[in-house]
Amino acid sequence: MSGETSSPVQRGEGQPSQGWRRFVENLRNSVQEQAKIFVQSRMAVAGLAIIVFYVIVALVSPYIVPYGPEERIYTAAGEWAKLQPPSLAHPLGTTESAYDVLSQLLLGARIAMFVGLLGAFMVAIIGTTVGLVAGYYGGWIDEIVMRVVDILYGLPFIPFVIVLVTVLGASVWNIILGIALLYWLSTARVIRSEVLSLRERPYVEAAEAAGASDFRIMGVHILPNVIPLAALYAAIAVGYSIVAQASIAFLGFGDPTVPSWGVMLQRAFVTQSFGTAWWWVFPPGLSITLVVTGAYLVGRGYEEVVNPQLQEK
Amino acid sequence: MVNKRYLARRFLLMVVSLFTVATILFFLFRMVPGGPMSAIMSPRMTEAARQRVIENFGLNEPLWRQYLLYMWQLLHLNLGESFYYGQTVKGLIVDRFYNTMVLMLTAFLISYTIGIYLGAQLGWIRGTPKERAAMIVVLLMRSTPVFWTGMIVLYLFAFELNMFPLGGMRGVGAEYSSVSGKFLSVDFLYHLVLPVFTLTTFYTGLPLLLMRNNLLEVLSEDYIDTARAKGLTNRRILFRHAARNAVLPVVTAFAIAIGFAVGGQVLIETVFSWPGLGREMVKASLRSDYPVAQGAFLLLSTIVISMNFLADLAYTYLDPRVRLGGT
Amino acid sequence: MKQANANFDFDDDAPLLEAEDLTVSYSTSQGDLIAVDDVSFTVKEDEIFGLVGESGCGKSTVAQAILSLLPSNGMIPSGSIRFRGIELTELEKRELDSLRWENLALISQGAMNALNPVQRISTQIVEAIQAHREISKQDARERTRELFETVGLDPERMDDYPHQFSGGMKQRAYIAMSLALDPDLIIADEPTTALDVIVQDQILKRLKELRDELNISVVIISHDISVIAETCNRLGVMYSGKLMEYGDLKEIFANPYNPYTLGLQNAFPTLRGEQADLISIPGSPPDIADLPDGCRFMDRCPFATAKCGEAHPPLESVGDDHASACYRHDIIEEMRTDAGKRDTWDQLHAEVAASGGASDE
Repeated sequence: MSGETSSPVQRGEGQPSQGWRRFVENLRNSVQEQAKIFVQSRMAVAGLAIIVFYVIVALVSPYIVPYGPEERIYTAAGEWAKLQPPSLAHPLGTTESAYDVLSQLLLGARIAMFVGLLGAFMVAIIGTTVGLVAGYYGGWIDEIVMRVVDILYGLPFIPFVIVLVTVLGASVWNIILGIALLYWLSTARVIRSEVLSLRERPYVEAAEAAGASDFRIMGVHILPNVIPLAALYAAIAVGYSIVAQASIAFLGFGDPTVPSWGVMLQRAFVTQSFGTAWWWVFPPGLSITLVVTGAYLVGRGYEEVVNPQLQEK
Repeated sequence: MVNKRYLARRFLLMVVSLFTVATILFFLFRMVPGGPMSAIMSPRMTEAARQRVIENFGLNEPLWRQYLLYMWQLLHLNLGESFYYGQTVKGLIVDRFYNTMVLMLTAFLISYTIGIYLGAQLGWIRGTPKERAAMIVVLLMRSTPVFWTGMIVLYLFAFELNMFPLGGMRGVGAEYSSVSGKFLSVDFLYHLVLPVFTLTTFYTGLPLLLMRNNLLEVLSEDYIDTARAKGLTNRRILFRHAARNAVLPVVTAFAIAIGFAVGGQVLIETVFSWPGLGREMVKASLRSDYPVAQGAFLLLSTIVISMNFLADLAYTYLDPRVRLGGT
Repeated sequence: MKQANANFDFDDDAPLLEAEDLTVSYSTSQGDLIAVDDVSFTVKEDEIFGLVGESGCGKSTVAQAILSLLPSNGMIPSGSIRFRGIELTELEKRELDSLRWENLALISQGAMNALNPVQRISTQIVEAIQAHREISKQDARERTRELFETVGLDPERMDDYPHQFSGGMKQRAYIAMSLALDPDLIIADEPTTALDVIVQDQILKRLKELRDELNISVVIISHDISVIAETCNRLGVMYSGKLMEYGDLKEIFANPYNPYTLGLQNAFPTLRGEQADLISIPGSPPDIADLPDGCRFMDRCPFATAKCGEAHPPLESVGDDHASACYRHDIIEEMRTDAGKRDTWDQLHAEVAASGGASDE
């Protein structure tokens, strides 16, 4: 699976400022070209629609939720309205603590999209940088980087985040730290392979012969061609990050003050209510599934249209 | 000649990895709230006991000495005492270890077998409606969080349909005399079904997709044309030629998969109240029983690293180019 | 090992292999592309037939079509291929499978990748044998030993894996495998590409031995005309899916009638290393998705005229077992002389370069 663009991006050298300009230009051309390819895949567009939908929900939910996430609902008799099945007033019913499920669900989108997009972003940045450096420089730098990657693979993800949270406290940032420390490994490996082959391309050799600095070659010539692949892995990382945060929250290590789908499921599980209160259990899980599916469709759909085009050329 | 150099390198990697993980743990647990002392000393200790611990663990010594002491103790498999249970960590986690391994290995075996077989079949029938439908199912399986699947499975089969127990590893009050009795009794297997089923839905996706992708690549290789030209049956071409080659990267990918697979294990043990390492680690962390949390993590990490190495061994065996080296 | 194939009613009077008006196309996102266009040829018993042409001319596609090994988007919209009278294009997989290897074997290009890397070579040969014969593994292995000796390989090494053999050895192992069932016809697709000259020579010698000693006919597909010249009795010259010249090899080489053949002869060193200067044909074949109306070779032909632009010339007989597709047979003497001169082609170089040039051949 390769994410090379077909047309090699810009050759030739110039002044440092021209180098930056050229980098931005190459980037823009690359993005435009990729966007055109992207929309050819119905799968990718469908996935993107789902993601965009949830981003919008995340952005507007504080303004549209009917109730606060921890706003107690009372029955007419003045008691807690616990575990109420769906009704007109509460389309998704209430929790064991008499909170409105729908409100929690809508607000939960915020943390999901935040962690998802931030996690993906970090995976892309760290993974691409490491892969780029290792692949381009080769030699002992590559060796060291690859050994570090090999060693880090020995750390199982969820237990590691549990340790982080145990030691540093139950905050969303510690989950994000865990993602930043461990999720980039696969991306780095793949990008590195790609860079290894791109490095042999004639226009790179030409730039090297012309005396361009390593930084310029990496940034201006190689990076833009590697971005489609990085974007693909980033898309997949969105899904993984969201599930990671939900899983950690489910285990009881999430921040209880932040409404999230994982915490909702944790409460449902811990109170043993999931046997009866399907309205509490299904919506958060379905939301997670939907968002992860959307992210995956984006990545897979894009990959499907990029590859055959490369092969036909 | 077996390629010993390659295996030696991977073995060395395993040792270095274990060492590094232990070191990382050492430094991480010094950051617990309450300082490094809290990582080793139970809050319930008397003052005299505290003094003893300070001496035994050299907590007044310089950092590097504490580190060496820590490593020394690890090498002797001394993992400290649990704050909560009052028994040695080692005794505790060894017992949990078997429980985890039974569940994890069973699920791995089933899911990799199914995954590889189905992946090969799906790759072969690519483009057909059946394949497209199957891929949608696979996609959904991979997108659902495994703990939620577990909850749904429990809800459906245990709560609603009452077909399987609600959790745990054996019936309450069950007693067994032998190991085989413990792990092969009907009661045990009955409890094993739902967690294995859930874990399998989680694990199968990766080998299946990988196998399918690899198969598609392999099918365009020349030796597949040769096999066709020899007039072999489709079945033979698929399994003895295509799948046999396509499975190699699946074995390598095992290393990447297992770190996440263990995460799934932790979640499922929690959902099904399965008394394994994962669940123990979660409980220990929630009640600040640091020695147990540390020990459990170390063991989980060891499992991951060892299984990586086993995957390397398997790959060496499966690929004659690696096993025998080049001409 | 020879065994009459009981599944088929062969016509003993029919030629060994006969392609008639064969057309092969691929369906792609750009529509149906025709790779082989209306090609006819015959291969007789005890002969080596060559198909020569540049890469992309469709010769490999012909080989794949004969063995029904076209990729999934390939099809044969018209024409026929007959093996001893049996129409291959109408057979089902089961019937084809019994023909495959038994009567029609393949030596494919780049035995580098044509042998399964994770199986021992002996296993692969035994597999071929057992797929068609009721015979024990012992006997099959015995046969494998024989085959190894036939091609000059050490039978002690038959249990090695492909990566343990050199390129030339792998090719010979592949030939051994193709001989396993005493086929009537072997299709050799670029059998010597990527092999060094000395090994090439050995392989070609063996192929001739197959014809002379084992009465096996061979179809050799190659872009290297010297390989063809070295081994074949008869040949067909293909260009852009069409057959340009066809017939007896000695006849064609002594009296070539087609400008493309003339160009090809210039472009390759002979195996014996005569120090003739190489003259390449400038330009490259037409895009298969955008074929010209007229003669396919027109843009690269030094002798083209307006008439050549109307339609691709039909094959016409120019001698005994000799046909060529060209409108300019009348000036053949002139063409032969001019083709040997560098200037003729250099002029074309300039024209092609001026018109925005394609790569050299």
